[in-house]
Amino acid sequence: MNILLHAQRLISTINRLMVALGSLGLAAASLILSYSVVSRSLFRMPTDWQDEAAVFCLVGVTFLGAAFVQEHRHHVGISALAGLLPRPIERLRIFLVDFVPLIFCGFFAWKSFALFHEAWVDGHTTSSSWGPPLAIPYGLMTAGMLLLCLQLFLQTLQHLLARSKVA
Amino acid sequence: MMSIFLLGLIFIIVTLVVMFSGIPIAFALGTVALIFMMLFMPASSLDMVTQNVFEEMASITLLSIPLFILKGAAIGRSRAGQDLYGALHAWLGKVPGGLGVANVLACALFAAMAGSSPATCSAIGSAGIPEMRKRGYSPGFAAGIIAAGGTLGILLPPSITMILYAVAAEQSLGRLFLAGIGPGVMLVAFFAIYTVWQFRRQYQQALIESQSAQAGSPAPAILQTDSYSLQEKLSYLPRVLPFLLLLTGVMVALYGGFATPSETAGLGAVLAFLLIGVIYRLWRVRDLKPMFEATIKESTMLMFIIGMSLLFSNVMSDLHLSQSAAQAIVDMNPSRWVLLTAILFLVIILGFFLPPVSIILMTAPIILPPLRAAGFDLVWFGVVMTIVMETGLIHPPVGLNIFVIKNIAPDIALADIIWGIVPFVIIMLLSVVVLCFLPEIATGLPDLVMGTAKKH
Repeated sequence: MNILLHAQRLISTINRLMVALGSLGLAAASLILSYSVVSRSLFRMPTDWQDEAAVFCLVGVTFLGAAFVQEHRHHVGISALAGLLPRPIERLRIFLVDFVPLIFCGFFAWKSFALFHEAWVDGHTTSSSWGPPLAIPYGLMTAGMLLLCLQLFLQTLQHLLARSKVA
Repeated sequence: MMSIFLLGLIFIIVTLVVMFSGIPIAFALGTVALIFMMLFMPASSLDMVTQNVFEEMASITLLSIPLFILKGAAIGRSRAGQDLYGALHAWLGKVPGGLGVANVLACALFAAMAGSSPATCSAIGSAGIPEMRKRGYSPGFAAGIIAAGGTLGILLPPSITMILYAVAAEQSLGRLFLAGIGPGVMLVAFFAIYTVWQFRRQYQQALIESQSAQAGSPAPAILQTDSYSLQEKLSYLPRVLPFLLLLTGVMVALYGGFATPSETAGLGAVLAFLLIGVIYRLWRVRDLKPMFEATIKESTMLMFIIGMSLLFSNVMSDLHLSQSAAQAIVDMNPSRWVLLTAILFLVIILGFFLPPVSIILMTAPIILPPLRAAGFDLVWFGVVMTIVMETGLIHPPVGLNIFVIKNIAPDIALADIIWGIVPFVIIMLLSVVVLCFLPEIATGLPDLVMGTAKKH
């Protein structure tokens, strides 16, 4: 139980760090898009890279923040059945609410990593004239999903331990 | 080969079971998509899952959503809401029912700036509800005004719901934003008229009661009027006008062709932070941190639902489920209005359980082709669907706004709040009927500004 607590504390710290990074990403995306308006209307400069740069920032914000959102249980679900089921089934339900997403996110993280690895090794870039490496957003996606898996794993484990304690 | 009907039936059942288990909507949709890919699609499709989600999500139109939320968080967490409300109250103080109307207008303006329904309810309601009750408005009436006013957020631009509709229905976002304005103003007008009428009723009742009461007892609060000096009225303007300028300035940039919708999201956020920095001196890290944190919570949650909804509808379309369902509806050849009523009814039912974003993305591939075949303007339908989904924000069982209000005014009974809201829900549904007879209320403005659309 103690190790679990420490592990959660560690993940929470990482999550807070990711929120700080995400905040910078949000600020950067806003500034990039504002710059794009200004540079186009004042200096008539082409603005082909701005949209892509902003997309990369915002993909990063979305995925890196996912574990933080899960930590605070802010991913909304339909709770209409909560409390209506008989107790043993209800306990299974509560367990599955964390376990099923863990399996799904595990699969997703694995495939993200495969995508990232391929883009990294083969040097894939986007099709625009700027052509930044696709490994950047894929890497952010992989990192975010891995962190989310860790968070879900801890939450699943907490259910299991709490249950063995009761038994 | 399994019949498409049976496959569809299994798909619906699995989706319902997984969703109702309480698994977060985003992961539930992803899980269902994955299960059906494994069972019914080539193994190679599984390798494409992440790429699929990434390619759908990595659009600057969709990713402008976090920035619109950021702008809303900046404005919503400053004192801008209270000041806006105070200014309208001061300026409308003399009008009968002016306080209620001031609340409706404050909600509409704030919703347009912040773009979030719950944020509007809490920002305007936390000042507006106590003030209205102090002035003798019945608690349910006060709560209804705020709950209904808050819903205007997803109709007035920039509306997140409309961004998603534009993506799902492949319609022009600029046109949709403009199409929401006419109906938005109409709803504000209807809400205001009802507010004045209801105020008069409560006023008359109080008048009769006070006349029959013994002399010397104090007059009920609703009978008292207050007045503001011109100086007081003017004192609000320096704090309120810049935000209204921001609101109109961003719109001008959009429709003047200076900025794309996503650029206005970025620009709007930067300007909102400048304004709250200058006007409310909110520029320290500890002031800004909660705004960014709230934005990440809200936008990550939404973007995950969006990404996974898109994966879900891709699977539905790869299995030919959406096409077959759409074709089946077309083949039934229902009359236009039966079709529209049935679809809106479906939207209301789904609204009991799902947030607007997933309703749009999950149903668009099924309901839009029959609507197009029946000759409906899809921009117009986007507005109608949005209003119908708005009602979902204020009626049970989800009714997010109800709970926000319960939070800021815990002593108003839930039943009072709900009864106060009912008339507003009726007004919203009536306005849908009005829009059916006078579609120009929605389509007139975009046609005027951007030229007549090609008809589908």
